[in-house]
Amino acid sequence: QGPGLRTRLLITALFGAGLGWAWLAARAEKEQWRQQQRTEALRQAAVGQGDFSLLDHKGQPRCKADFRGQWVLMYFGFTHCPDICPDELEKLVQVVRKLEAEPDLPLVQPVFITVDPERDDVAAMARYVQEFHPRLLGLTGSTEQVAHASRNYRVYYSAGPKDEDQDYIVDHSIAIYLLNPDGLFTDYYGRSRSAEQIVESIRRHIAAFHSVLP
Amino acid sequence: MAAPSMKERQACWGARDLYWRCLDDNAEDAARCQKLRSSFEASCPQQWIKYFDKRRDYLKFKEKFEAGGFQSSQSTENS
Repeated sequence: QGPGLRTRLLITALFGAGLGWAWLAARAEKEQWRQQQRTEALRQAAVGQGDFSLLDHKGQPRCKADFRGQWVLMYFGFTHCPDICPDELEKLVQVVRKLEAEPDLPLVQPVFITVDPERDDVAAMARYVQEFHPRLLGLTGSTEQVAHASRNYRVYYSAGPKDEDQDYIVDHSIAIYLLNPDGLFTDYYGRSRSAEQIVESIRRHIAAFHSVLP
Repeated sequence: MAAPSMKERQACWGARDLYWRCLDDNAEDAARCQKLRSSFEASCPQQWIKYFDKRRDYLKFKEKFEAGGFQSSQSTENS
């Protein structure tokens, strides 16, 4: 007579458990591999994507690596902007001030990048940014450098026709971008988001943040 | 030509707001708001005046549209 019923059930159970364990182990290994792939992709994005080579409003060269370790709020506009840029910058600066008032949160670095390099030189940027916040950093550069930065952040801009004063309006996309301390694009805030909503969103991002960089 | 300072910008916005309020109060009769129009034109760069005039046209259109002030076109109704 063959093995008893009890023995056969035991063997079947052990075999099933073994299969289950093997499957769970394989799944965990795959998930770990996937997470490593994602971390590596994020690491490469952190280092390689969204870089720029611009001058700040004191004439110092700046690139993305200079902001490593900082949360950054970034806006693309121009100093001759009639209303949307100053409104959005004022909102951005309100967010910065509200976050500054919370001692347990890291400082957020506000950055304004011009889409009008023809007129917005270092001196023009310095005049403009100082009226918003002492820590608002203005960035400008050559036409090519600004175009490169804008392409990297998918920012559209186009200068309109000049009038007899050589004045013109630059049409451009409107968004405030949030970069995390690794330099990764993390979120964006459009016209309809209030300063309070943005503060709440950033607070959540700060709480959830884990660096992928060594 | 330097960009307007914050003070100049706010003066421009203030003059624009006074002019627009006058238009609102006078059923868009610009003739009755000539003095404020002149003040607006003296306070803002020319390009901004063009921009704000277009913006007002847009805002008025949006207001009317949202109030359902437009009737569907004949071809739409018949289709």
